[in-house]
Amino acid sequence: MNLITKLLFLGLSFTPAATFFTWDGAVAWSLLNGITLSFDLTPLSAFFMLLLAIGAPLIAVPMLREKSDESAYALYALLLLGMQLLLLAGDFIGFFIGWEMMTWSSYLLLLRSPRTDLEGAQSYILFNLVSAFLLLAGMLFLYSITDDFRIQAVDGLLTADKLVLFVLFGLAFLIKVGALPLHLWVPRSYDQAPDLFSAFLSALMSKMGIYGLMILPLLFPDGFNEISGQIFNGPVAGYVLAWIGIITATIATFKAISQEDMKRLLAYSSIAQVGYIVTALGVGSSLAIGGALFQALVHTLVKLLLFITIAGIILQTGHRRFIDLGQLISRMPISFFGVLIGIIGLAGMPPLPGFAAKYLMYVGLIEAHWLLLLAAMILASTASFVYCYKLIYGPFLGHANSPEAKTATEAPWQYLIPQIILMGMLVALGIFPGWAIDVLIDPVLIGLNMTPIGTPAWNVLATSYGGYDGVAVMGVFATVFVLITVLFLLVRGNMHRAASPYDLSFCGEVPTADTPLHYGAGMGRELRRVPLIGWILRHTTTGFYAGLTRQTQAAAGMIGTLYGSNPQTWLLLAVLIFAVTLTIQSVTGA
Amino acid sequence: MTLHFTPVWFIAVPLLLAFLAPLWVRWRLLMPVLFSAQVALFALALSWIPAVRIAPILETIVIAPPLGIHLHLDAIALLLVALFSFAGAIITAFIWLDNGAAHLRERPAFILILLLIAGSNGMVLTGDIFNLYVFIEIVGVSAYALAAIRRDKTALEAGLKYLIVGSVAAIFILFAIVLLYLQTGQLNIAALAQAFSNMPAQMQLLIGLLMLIGLGIKAELFPFNFWVPDIYRGSDPEITALYSGVLVKAFLFVLFHLTFILLADPTVARNWLMALGAITMIVAELVALRQNDLRRMLAYSSLGQVGLITLALAFASEATTAGALFHMINHTFIKVLLFLLAALMLRQYASLKLTDVHGLSRTMPLAAGLFVLGALAVLGLPPLSGFISKLWILKGFSDVQTFWPVALILTAALIEAGYYFRWIRAFYAAPTDAASMAKMEGEKVLNYAPLLVIAGVLIVLGVAPFLLEDWLQQAAQALLGREALLNAVLGVQP
Amino acid sequence: MLEVLELFDRPAVLHSIYLIGSLILFFIGLYGLLAKRHLLKIFVSIEIMELAVYLILIAIATTPGETAPILSDGLTAFTGMSDPIPQALTLTAIVIGVAVTALGTSMAIQYHRLTGKVSVGEMTELKD
Repeated sequence: MNLITKLLFLGLSFTPAATFFTWDGAVAWSLLNGITLSFDLTPLSAFFMLLLAIGAPLIAVPMLREKSDESAYALYALLLLGMQLLLLAGDFIGFFIGWEMMTWSSYLLLLRSPRTDLEGAQSYILFNLVSAFLLLAGMLFLYSITDDFRIQAVDGLLTADKLVLFVLFGLAFLIKVGALPLHLWVPRSYDQAPDLFSAFLSALMSKMGIYGLMILPLLFPDGFNEISGQIFNGPVAGYVLAWIGIITATIATFKAISQEDMKRLLAYSSIAQVGYIVTALGVGSSLAIGGALFQALVHTLVKLLLFITIAGIILQTGHRRFIDLGQLISRMPISFFGVLIGIIGLAGMPPLPGFAAKYLMYVGLIEAHWLLLLAAMILASTASFVYCYKLIYGPFLGHANSPEAKTATEAPWQYLIPQIILMGMLVALGIFPGWAIDVLIDPVLIGLNMTPIGTPAWNVLATSYGGYDGVAVMGVFATVFVLITVLFLLVRGNMHRAASPYDLSFCGEVPTADTPLHYGAGMGRELRRVPLIGWILRHTTTGFYAGLTRQTQAAAGMIGTLYGSNPQTWLLLAVLIFAVTLTIQSVTGA
Repeated sequence: MTLHFTPVWFIAVPLLLAFLAPLWVRWRLLMPVLFSAQVALFALALSWIPAVRIAPILETIVIAPPLGIHLHLDAIALLLVALFSFAGAIITAFIWLDNGAAHLRERPAFILILLLIAGSNGMVLTGDIFNLYVFIEIVGVSAYALAAIRRDKTALEAGLKYLIVGSVAAIFILFAIVLLYLQTGQLNIAALAQAFSNMPAQMQLLIGLLMLIGLGIKAELFPFNFWVPDIYRGSDPEITALYSGVLVKAFLFVLFHLTFILLADPTVARNWLMALGAITMIVAELVALRQNDLRRMLAYSSLGQVGLITLALAFASEATTAGALFHMINHTFIKVLLFLLAALMLRQYASLKLTDVHGLSRTMPLAAGLFVLGALAVLGLPPLSGFISKLWILKGFSDVQTFWPVALILTAALIEAGYYFRWIRAFYAAPTDAASMAKMEGEKVLNYAPLLVIAGVLIVLGVAPFLLEDWLQQAAQALLGREALLNAVLGVQP
Repeated sequence: MLEVLELFDRPAVLHSIYLIGSLILFFIGLYGLLAKRHLLKIFVSIEIMELAVYLILIAIATTPGETAPILSDGLTAFTGMSDPIPQALTLTAIVIGVAVTALGTSMAIQYHRLTGKVSVGEMTELKD
């Protein structure tokens, strides 16, 4: 029985893949007169469906290790259904239905974690509902003008109407991708969600916001030019979007550096990575959009890999903070490689495809001559090396800082299988960046009526500003890696018993119980002393939202006093209102 | 001999069955009769659909209108009668299958519930304004008595408060009716409608205000709805389900029926009623944020939804009206579901305070799951029917480019989410008192059967709302179609 | 003197006197409803308000000189009779009013037995 449920669940997790491969022809479902839902797979939605098809089973596999939990499985299936609906939808109603199903089913999955507190749960659902209602308002506004809910190019709108639409939709999707200052819910929920579900949130659900943002060029096919005029050879709207993205990326990167907790660090890094995508979308050229799509693909794979690996570490040790871990490299070697590959992809370094994605986005910015943005992006991207380093050093190197870390063993096979698959995918994509361009990205660009990037061969990434050969780069890196490893192993034999790692850490001193021994303890704290960054890090939006909640509660309490318990007061109010209205109306003679 | 079905059955059958109560007690058939009566009425209502689709049915009692009393069965009346009997069937089935609340399965409750249903049907069907008053009072008396039927301190307090407020409201309504009669010499609503515009403006205003306040109190509109939370908190949740699901809907119908019929140009009252609806909605949703008792919270949420329905109905356009009627139906389903869940939770938990129900999903997973379903539906989240009705309303407003109600409705839904999800989170949080949890008995699926029916309906109507679309459109036309009604009743062009 | 009395027989004057009287009665009831704390006094006030409304109906719908609308005692035609509808309405309304008051009184008595309270102001059991 148990096994059958689990197998059924595993089968359900393949539904996005099934949809992706077997979908043919459009389906329509008439809800009401005038509201017909139409579903079809466009090139753009097919791309995101592919991400879902990859991610869903890979997260389902480790979920199978836990005790069979039918309601969690059902919610997961509903979540997948909602996401498929929203990707397939050809009209905004269907899109909204999918969007909301995704929102509430993910909320209920979030609640299943014992760590979820009231603030976390409330901020998750309220931010997402604000996003959904902005979307609804936007589509109703669109409907009031065009009398149509279909997702298609709108023309004949006034500039002001376009601006309203752009702002409504833009805000809705920016909340979903966690752009600053609308990101409050992201770190909380990624942090508190069940460990594997964090992978889903970060890798797949944030991509739905990206998908939404990608619909905007569909609605306004002649670029954002008409909405707001021009600045620096580009539309103002795009420029603003690009800056939102880059500010998000920069601040989130510094926030990530100062985190003490693995999942929170990954949450902020997600915000930052998605920020790059927003920037690229703001640029809006075919190179930049291609880069955005590539980044979406890589970020999905990387975050799946990292969150699943971290979930494995948390499962085996029970710790999530860096200062409680350490020295796991010898006990969890595969997980070590998982994180290693993950951070190389995350940092956008060659030879992994993260580099290709960043490269395309940089080239896009250069092409648009938005050099200030380019500089900011390079800054954020470089700063991200620090948290990447933290991520590999904290759990794996140094010495073990807790009894659990000393005795931990490698994660169970259910966790390792997705890790190995994802590592393989990342390496393969690193070798064949041209394949991704040719097979995955160019069809989308053609679907968006843009010039495809094109590639001479599958192993080559080529742009008009230069490119590189994936096989050659990977070959060089692999050779160097093998050489260094061999050298290290040869030498290691001699220095094996040179010293205990503790001696290194203590430097001969005798630490007290509360001395933080971990290398990473307090890392990033010094950032607060950097002038501008420190100011930003000290000022969070938490206070603002807490204040807003307090004010609403206070207003509610004040109005609530009207609802007393004495029937005479109720009647007195009714009679008074009657008398006052009658007098006013009689006097004014209405 | 073939039985001749007439609309009067909707009123006569429950009354008759109520008067025969001693018989059912002797034969131990009280609950079966109560349940099957509702089911039979529901079936009867459904059997009328084809006939009403063609033309409304007039049932004359003794003399033809405008002199005599007549019942008027058109699409909207049929819709509401069907809704009332369906809700009644669900609630009585619940009371029957439930093993708690013995006082609800005895003769007084039996009679009062039937009276309440008969009165509500009468309010919807009647074409005579004094008859309307009589039905309002029948409903009122049975509602006051039902509020107090548990006969303990809280129930009696609720009953007394309800009685005081309710009878004052009835005096206001009676006053308005008296003034109408003195001015026109008519009691038939259609005949009154013709004469109404000939009255002096001051008198129109006075009558309108009296009616508005009387019906506003009964239909739970702000600022006349301060009584609601107390009554809903004190009465049995099964009874509150009847109030929120049946009673309020009947009064809302009367309010709008009279508005649309009496005023030749309903736009006169549009701004007033829309403002009332909007204020009711926002105030109730805000106050609900601070409620720590489940029943009080549900009461405020009910008020909020009434505000929304008022806002949409008052706009007096066909699209919003059809949507509002659909929302009315959905709201009945949802509130019946939620209040009956509250009843089930009360069996297990001494108090339904937010802090006391932490971890409820461990002992009552089905109840928690159904609560989530109801909450999602009331918030208007897809794929449940609440979404369709809200969308319909919003679409109706967007059709004519009126955006302030859209913004208000969405804001209200957001505030509503703020408290509903607080409760959901509490249900799924870790229990505060694990020791007492262990002692609780498990859930009996039989208790949940009526609730599962509602859940099924909510999902089906959410996926396939076109099933009801025609009927709702016709109902909206019937509610707004003043000329058609005057023609049908009086046989003349107004 | 007689002229003055005749003046009172004129329907308009008579009606206004009745109307003023009823309204005074109505406001007395309203005052009692809003100002008195005792449950039974509140019921009495509600009854007074209802009575005022009945009075208005009956008083204004009838004019002096009309006979009861009953065909008996040699009366054979409907002439010079008062309108029967207001009387029927009033009778019905009185019955309803009595029922409500009876119900209220019985609940108040029961409430008093359970709690010992008689004042609306003290009814605060439902507040949390």
